[in-house]
Amino acid sequence: MIKVERLSGGYGKEQVVDNVSFEVRKGEFFALLGPNGSGKSTIFKLITGVLPRLGGEVELDGKSMTALSMTEKARMLAVLTQEEKVFFDFTVEEIVMLGRYPHQRGFLKSISSEDQAAVERSMSICKVELYRYKPFIELSGGEKQRVLLAKALAQEPQVLLLDEPTNHLDIRHTFDMLNLLKEWQQTNELTVFAILHDLNVASLYADRVALLKDGQIIEIGSVHILRKEKQLEEVYGVRVNSGSHPEIAKPQLFLSPNTEEISTSDGGFSTMFELNRDENVIHLRSRHSLRTISNGVIGEGLSWAKHFCNFHVDKNYNCSDPQQDIRNWLEERGIPVEETIGMMTAVQLEDMVMLTHEANDYSCLAVITAGVGNAVDISAEAEPEIIRRIGTINTMLFIDGHLTDGALVNAMLSATEAKTKVIHDMHIIDKLTGTIATGTSTDSLLIACTQRGIPTPYAGSGTVVGKRLGQLIYQATKQAIGKYQKRTAKV
Amino acid sequence: MDKSSIRKSSSNRILIGMYIFSGAFLFLAALLGLLVSSVTVPVPSIIHIILQNSIGLSWMEDIPRNLEMIIWNIRFPRVLLALFIGAALSLAGAAFQGLLRNPLADPYTIGVSSGASLGSVLVLYFQINLLGLGSFSLPVVAIIGGFVALMIVFGMTRLSNRGMAIETIILAGIIISAFIGAIVSLIIAISSQEDMRQILYWLMGSVGMRGWSHLQLFIPFFLIGAAILLLHHRELNALAMGEESAQHLGLDVKKRKIWILVGASLLTGASVAVSGSIGFVGLVIPHLVRLITGPNHRHVLPLSMLTGGAYLVLADLIARTIIAPKELPIGVITALVGAPVFAILLMRRFGRGKS
Repeated sequence: MIKVERLSGGYGKEQVVDNVSFEVRKGEFFALLGPNGSGKSTIFKLITGVLPRLGGEVELDGKSMTALSMTEKARMLAVLTQEEKVFFDFTVEEIVMLGRYPHQRGFLKSISSEDQAAVERSMSICKVELYRYKPFIELSGGEKQRVLLAKALAQEPQVLLLDEPTNHLDIRHTFDMLNLLKEWQQTNELTVFAILHDLNVASLYADRVALLKDGQIIEIGSVHILRKEKQLEEVYGVRVNSGSHPEIAKPQLFLSPNTEEISTSDGGFSTMFELNRDENVIHLRSRHSLRTISNGVIGEGLSWAKHFCNFHVDKNYNCSDPQQDIRNWLEERGIPVEETIGMMTAVQLEDMVMLTHEANDYSCLAVITAGVGNAVDISAEAEPEIIRRIGTINTMLFIDGHLTDGALVNAMLSATEAKTKVIHDMHIIDKLTGTIATGTSTDSLLIACTQRGIPTPYAGSGTVVGKRLGQLIYQATKQAIGKYQKRTAKV
Repeated sequence: MDKSSIRKSSSNRILIGMYIFSGAFLFLAALLGLLVSSVTVPVPSIIHIILQNSIGLSWMEDIPRNLEMIIWNIRFPRVLLALFIGAALSLAGAAFQGLLRNPLADPYTIGVSSGASLGSVLVLYFQINLLGLGSFSLPVVAIIGGFVALMIVFGMTRLSNRGMAIETIILAGIIISAFIGAIVSLIIAISSQEDMRQILYWLMGSVGMRGWSHLQLFIPFFLIGAAILLLHHRELNALAMGEESAQHLGLDVKKRKIWILVGASLLTGASVAVSGSIGFVGLVIPHLVRLITGPNHRHVLPLSMLTGGAYLVLADLIARTIIAPKELPIGVITALVGAPVFAILLMRRFGRGKS
């Protein structure tokens, strides 16, 4: 739809954009990204003709821009910027009517019924017809921007150029605006070419993006090129971690400030923790927030936490809403829910095992409660059954090291291997199948890391940290199951 | 009928009412201007004299020759001139305010009037008689002066390398005005007592003692200038959101800007040339109209013409009758009467805005 070839230009003699080529396809949402001064707005102004081109060619729907008259261009291409200065108090409807300028013909150029219909249509799309007689200057920022969008749509363009249209808008109005645009783009084949500042917003709404730096295009592609952290760091000069939106297959970026590392002046790794234990809960409190991966009842998945709780429940506990129960218990104790990983067990908490391995790097601390009444051989053929008896292995493992997300998953694998080996060595039997079990039916696992030191992407059995945590978990689990067996033997 | 359409029809009614009111106001003001004077002429006679002289219709006998002279050769051109000058200045003011996006802009902002004034003052001082044009020398030289000033403003704006930016036009206009104003002061300072009185009186503005010849000189400029501006009402609306935005709507901003400047300058230059610089009308009448009709130039431009014309006819009427047989400068009346009226309207409007 827009084809830019070897475009160069800038302000006066200063060439901001140098030899840029790209194409915006019909019906797509194309976003131009880059830091301030990278030439985004200059490219826009060169396309719209506000700035003169020093070289290159711009084609609009196969026709050279220079061959089109001003009004022909305006009938195909509308521009929405962040302007909101209007001289005199024009009403909303009068502002939207301005969008019909390129369509009005004839000597007197009066308003036709076609003009009126187009204005009504775009006002209703942008939901501004309610205040059509209100003066534009009395509107809020979000309303103003919607009116300006209505004006642009009244132009009935095939291409819409947006120069940071959501700059002054709050989150809700930003999303309102972009949802509106996205809908219009998809239903009416409108081509949207936008300058956006917020990379995460761009990732959610754009089909393709171009990364611009110092007037040069670094890369053009789908929004997934935003996953290239190094490239983004070079373009923006900010530390970037790329992740993914949890519900949409789009990258989301995390930017890091320059912060101090956790001080290492404390005695040993285990002194970082404070243990409070009673018959209802084991509560470990860390002095610093730790990076966590877990399948806990509270704080599941990847998170950060300071409090780690394992609650005791009766074996006949009614588990209709375990999350709310843990929330209540945490609140009773004054522990912040949002910073907590919470687990549950029917095992007696006094049988808890806590082992540490202090070292120069990758010190580890394991806290385990174990019961094997529900031991299951995951490989044996049997329908999964509901929990039968007390018995679950809850493992909390704390590591003094910097593990990437991948390494955290790897650590979970290592921890599970160690646990399974214990069950195998102790001949724990799946009572249903008679085979050696692999775990219990409701095991919980937490890995928590300080994230200080150099990041490591691995924590398997071929690494120091993997080996160390495996050994620690093996010992601790063995002791914990031993305690459980002693107690059940007595009964 | 929903609430919004009621509002719409009521706003249409206001507009139609405004046109009818302005038209009637203009007509009555003109009639009053013809009627009131030191010599009283009955209304039927006035109408007869005008119709007889303009379209040859005659039904009354024995109207004294001197009365016909007074009405047709002195009062009627005077009223018409006041009407056209008022319309021209108000229209030019509305266009300048819209184009320069500045509520303080008036026909005299960009220096055209200063150029015209200097031309007139030079004629008065040096007693120039251009190629036997006689009393026409003054307006002709004044128009040339205004045109030269406009060209200097354009030239300065272009050379400043900012592509006809509005701020540069305003600044260039103010610089030109100040410079020419200094020259005019210099001429006044070195002129004789009698010349000085004549120049000062001319500068204060008047529509008296001009006759048909000045009207004939003025009308072509008026028609061309008014036509140019009235045809640009949509462009003026589009420019209200800034030039870049107007360009995005498909407006050839540079070209349109020059057209509007030329149109408004034709009106201003010609007005100053025939009647001196009459203040206040071009600044306030457009604002007054906007207070009632809203800012849409489709209505602001024609309504400013009607209202401005009527206003200046009335102002002239007061100026020549209030201390008769002496005359006050018309600019004194336009401001003395207009400023309080405008102030009251402005305060009432803001009061309403608050509640």
